[in-house]
Amino acid sequence: MTERLLALFQLCDSNLPTGSFSHSFGLETYIQDNTVTDSESFEEWLSCYLEEQLAYTDGIACRMVYDALETGDLDTVSAIGARLHVQNLPRETRQGTRMIGEGMLKLFSRLYDFPFLNEYAKLVKEKRAVPHPAVVFAITAHGLGCSREEAVLYHFYGTVSGLIQNAVRAIPLGQTAGQMILNRIRPLLRQTAEKALALPDEDFGLVAPGLELSQMQHERVNVRIFMS
Amino acid sequence: MTVTQWTGELNLSLEDRAGKTVARNVYFQGAFKVMRPIYHDDSGKVCYYLLNPGGGYLDGDRYRMDITAEPDARVTLTTQGATKVYKTPKDHAYQETTMTLKAGSYLEYLPDPLIAYKDAAYRQKNIVRMESGATFLYTDILTPGWSPDGGQFAFDSVRLINEIYVDGEPAVFDNIRLSPSDQKVGGLGFMEGYTHLGSMIAIGEQTTDDLIDILHDLLAGTLEEDQVKFGISRLAVPGFSIRILGRSTGRIEKMLNACHKRISEEWLGLTPASLRKY
Repeated sequence: MTERLLALFQLCDSNLPTGSFSHSFGLETYIQDNTVTDSESFEEWLSCYLEEQLAYTDGIACRMVYDALETGDLDTVSAIGARLHVQNLPRETRQGTRMIGEGMLKLFSRLYDFPFLNEYAKLVKEKRAVPHPAVVFAITAHGLGCSREEAVLYHFYGTVSGLIQNAVRAIPLGQTAGQMILNRIRPLLRQTAEKALALPDEDFGLVAPGLELSQMQHERVNVRIFMS
Repeated sequence: MTVTQWTGELNLSLEDRAGKTVARNVYFQGAFKVMRPIYHDDSGKVCYYLLNPGGGYLDGDRYRMDITAEPDARVTLTTQGATKVYKTPKDHAYQETTMTLKAGSYLEYLPDPLIAYKDAAYRQKNIVRMESGATFLYTDILTPGWSPDGGQFAFDSVRLINEIYVDGEPAVFDNIRLSPSDQKVGGLGFMEGYTHLGSMIAIGEQTTDDLIDILHDLLAGTLEEDQVKFGISRLAVPGFSIRILGRSTGRIEKMLNACHKRISEEWLGLTPASLRKY
């Protein structure tokens, strides 16, 4: 248990060199148009991002990957990745997510020698799969012996803590304010992970229109410190 | 296995005959109908109007459409008026449309806005299978619906799904659900105080960054105060999507029409006829 927890802490570290440092997923659009200006407005954005985008894409995808790995069905796993990719209509967010997925896959493959992870890396190399962070995280968590509840929760945690770090730099907020947000959002993280695990397949990829629009608009935002 | 009892069915396949698109097969039954084909100009492109003689979708209704554009066929598919979904106390209303586009064909599906009445539940699924070299254009407008007391978002839920495949590979997956009772519809990240959602999806190998810039500027030119908010972005395949958040059907229609006109000029060398019929 302790060993697995320590391993998960590492995978969730917001300093993980995956490139997520460079992506705001539309947050920067809201910062530029003065919708997100402080801790409170950022938390509103973050809660929506978590409850909508992460729950319906990454959350359901994690659960589906676990279902597929039970029967060793890597074809379904790569189909989930492909669907995640084409579901992401805003170009920067789609390309950024893919980049982070690639970075994560590269790193996790160096850290662990799990058969499914190796096979998936091979599919990606042969361009038969589009790497996505949720898929890579789920396969790795599965390899570590995590339950699907743990996989979804820790993936959410890692993503959210990374986004908070980005917000601290971009809004900007104090480091302590960032830590307080992370502390406050914990109940919502657990609730959302629980909700996501219970969602049916047909809810996969449900869009939050405002979030998506801000991600499209980011392409034309004047001052940009993020790539998405 | 349950066999679906279709409330209305339509099969339509179109082919090119010496530059003119004509029906190879038309079949409809039940509460679904197409009017006689209309040629708005001498380009050979055909336009079909779909109509729902019942005037709207009712509890448990099931509609199915199957449209095929053979090589080089060019077709506009639209509706006679808004799709109205009345209250569905027992079971949601459902419409499923399969569109098949062969190489060189051009199919645009431009339905009128969707109006869901109080306590209505509606699902719509469009499945598009294209060969590369085909062109597909789609728009929809989701409205806050209609309620006797004038309230907005009084419907139960509306779900629109678009699944597009190019040469069998996933190209676009779009899943939208408005379910006002269990969503913070007005909140940041969702409808953000807007009431109408317009979408366009265009797929064609002719797509260029220039065209996307032109459409962006065209849309930006229609902005008035804070009445609308829009975004446009390239898809994973050659093509783009547009989303518009607004406060009226008319404004979103105007913006989508402006884009449609420009795309038709670029891709077909045609200035489209006005499709609105009132």
